[in-house]
Amino acid sequence: MSQDAKKNFNYKNIDLLKRYITETGKIIPARVSNVSAAEQRKLTKSIKIARFLALLPYTDSHR
Amino acid sequence: MNNYELTLILNPDLSSKFDDFESKFSKVLADIGFETKRLENIGRRQLAYSILNHNKGHYVIYQLEGPAAGAVELETKLKYDTAVIRSLLLKVDTLSLEDSLLMIESREAKKAPEEIKVTPPKGKVAEEPKPKEDVAEDTNTTETE
Repeated sequence: MSQDAKKNFNYKNIDLLKRYITETGKIIPARVSNVSAAEQRKLTKSIKIARFLALLPYTDSHR
Repeated sequence: MNNYELTLILNPDLSSKFDDFESKFSKVLADIGFETKRLENIGRRQLAYSILNHNKGHYVIYQLEGPAAGAVELETKLKYDTAVIRSLLLKVDTLSLEDSLLMIESREAKKAPEEIKVTPPKGKVAEEPKPKEDVAEDTNTTETE
């Protein structure tokens, strides 16, 4: 994942964010994905924004 | 003055009347002292989950500059605007004046259907003869045995 270190975690970059959520929509922990602590904070924030804007699901069981 | 990024999800049924909404909304923005630096009309998009029984939404991203007092007012106005399904006003350090990834994606999605229509017939023609050959070979081998 070292090549992702420079990548911008932004709520509009959905394809990148999708790689950091599980099939059920959970955010993958930093200890699994080897994202640095600072990057993980940005990642988490942008995933949560993307969820609010219905760009990403909160869960796989949305009715 | 602060920089703001405003993302709106509009009612998809009104997506054809976007120009009307835009002209009204630009007046609202001007009233509260906001200046539009950039407007991205992304268009209809599938929602990841349904909002107010809508499965699709019309996405718009505004890059704005304006006073902090206006930001509060803007949020309350958006809250009571029935055309807006969901809105998010973010304060940003620098405005992004280039095409966002969502915009690029929607543009590619519009191009893609044409490409897909062209490719399947070629694929079918290339694939079909092969199974026939396989069947023919199989029958030959069974006959010799």
